[in-house]
Amino acid sequence: MADLVDSMLDLMRRLPPTHVEENVSALVQMCPDYADDLLGSVDQPLKVMTDKATGKDYLVCDYNRDGESYRSPWSNEYDPPLEDGTVPSSKLRKLEIAANEAFDTYREMYYEGGVSSVFLWDLDDGGFAGVVLLKKILTPAAPGEPSGSWDSIHVFEAAERGRQAHYKLTSTIMLQMVDRGAREGAKDAAPEGTRAGEVSLSGSMTRQTEQDWPLQDQTSHITNTGRMIEEMEIKMRNLLQEVYFGKTRDVVFDLRSVDDLEKQRRQRELQKELVGFIKR
Amino acid sequence: MDSAERIQVASKFLLQAPPGEINDVLNDVRNIISDDDQLQEGVLPALREYNLAQFMTADVPGHQHQSIVSDADRVLNTGEDGEEGEETDRFWDPRSRTSFRFDHLSLETSDPQPVEPDEESEPFRMALEQSSLTYLAAHFHDGVASVFPVAGSTSRFIIQIVANKYNPSNFWSGRWRSEYTVDLDERQLQGKILVNVHYYEQGNVQLSTTHTIALPLPPAITPSPASSSASKIFAVIEAEEGKYQDALNDAYTEMGEKTFKGLRRALPMTRSKLDWDRVLGYKLGAELTSNKGVFGVA
Repeated sequence: MADLVDSMLDLMRRLPPTHVEENVSALVQMCPDYADDLLGSVDQPLKVMTDKATGKDYLVCDYNRDGESYRSPWSNEYDPPLEDGTVPSSKLRKLEIAANEAFDTYREMYYEGGVSSVFLWDLDDGGFAGVVLLKKILTPAAPGEPSGSWDSIHVFEAAERGRQAHYKLTSTIMLQMVDRGAREGAKDAAPEGTRAGEVSLSGSMTRQTEQDWPLQDQTSHITNTGRMIEEMEIKMRNLLQEVYFGKTRDVVFDLRSVDDLEKQRRQRELQKELVGFIKR
Repeated sequence: MDSAERIQVASKFLLQAPPGEINDVLNDVRNIISDDDQLQEGVLPALREYNLAQFMTADVPGHQHQSIVSDADRVLNTGEDGEEGEETDRFWDPRSRTSFRFDHLSLETSDPQPVEPDEESEPFRMALEQSSLTYLAAHFHDGVASVFPVAGSTSRFIIQIVANKYNPSNFWSGRWRSEYTVDLDERQLQGKILVNVHYYEQGNVQLSTTHTIALPLPPAITPSPASSSASKIFAVIEAEEGKYQDALNDAYTEMGEKTFKGLRRALPMTRSKLDWDRVLGYKLGAELTSNKGVFGVA
């Protein structure tokens, strides 16, 4: 019943992104047999937990979950504690520690705040895979200012081929912004009456890429995926800007024209007449 | 989950359908539930609720125009072909003085019947309708407007406007809805504007806005002469909707300048991309490289 999963994914692509969590959980309750397919393919806003050992925040998703527990990238411990929770092999854990430090720097440089986490896991064919997570929430500094949140989920697979490595990267960015500010009337004298409202822009976009990079040693995996993810985030940030602030706005102003369409029509007709008159 | 609960969840999904995508959502839900008989019966209330709330437009039988199907123009059954007060799917279009049956699944209309309007309120309603059509042509490319009298009142009117643009081949759709209640006795104009846009090419991005307006009616607006008052009411609506679009522009700027930039910078403060070799740190790098043998790079 592959097409059942397709229908579920199509549904999630249409329903409001602001309700993704409750809609996914309703679908899971309706079709418990497909819970893994659904939870593995539908990205949901990342949750923040605090590592009890180090006091550092980390992000949780399906990739660092074992049962009901989540593994911290800082201490490698599960919360709630698990006796035999899945952990990466010791050499992969070493790479994971270094990757977490590198992406923590990346986070500070681009996000100037927020939380990052990297999780790696061994693959059966000898390679490994990983996920780089970044999240930032913006709470308004003053009432009336917009609030927002950004969630990046970069899932990759790495396969070593001699002195080269092949990477498959799937990136999803979830971006949500809400504006409750009542700025109308600020320009001219406040008009009579009361007006109130809310503007919400929310959603997610996903892109994929496959690339080969040279491999000097194991740390090359971090610089390689780092460059790929940085490039991808720059590209997707531009894309998000275009869709959120360009495309959706254009549709609104296409639904209702600020300028008087009748006037425009009359002007065009007048122009046509004039042209005809001159030609004669 | 029992079948009643499944229908309840399916109904919730339908009510969240973006503009012009109710059939896509219904198809998905059909596949997931895979019990057509149960579904068809069960989701009718949700489809009805969706159509009424979203100002679905209907072709008025025997006429060339469309009318909005909503709570404002629902014809309540008075006992002739069913029980009194029973929910029927009959609506009326004051412009053509016609009532019709509306099928919430196919969106088709049938069984037109003549309707006699309320004599007292009809002149003012007609004046509003005339102005609404002028206003519609001036600001909407593909809009439909309806003006309804409020049942049991001669001084209250409901104006509804809806404009849709569906472009599935380019993965976007949009809907503008506005509704105003004019109360000539209370001298109030109350309104709301709702805009929804869905963009879904390799993603799912939605704009959803709400806006409410409450204004005293300007003194020049009186029950008669109806036509000049009606055009003054639409001048107020035109100004409010224009101002709303300005405010929306400001919200876009605010979110773009403050929120978007505040969430993630386009480039770091240094204005250049990261030097990943340095990010990794010499010490850290050295530590890992010393384990090269263990890591097994040939």
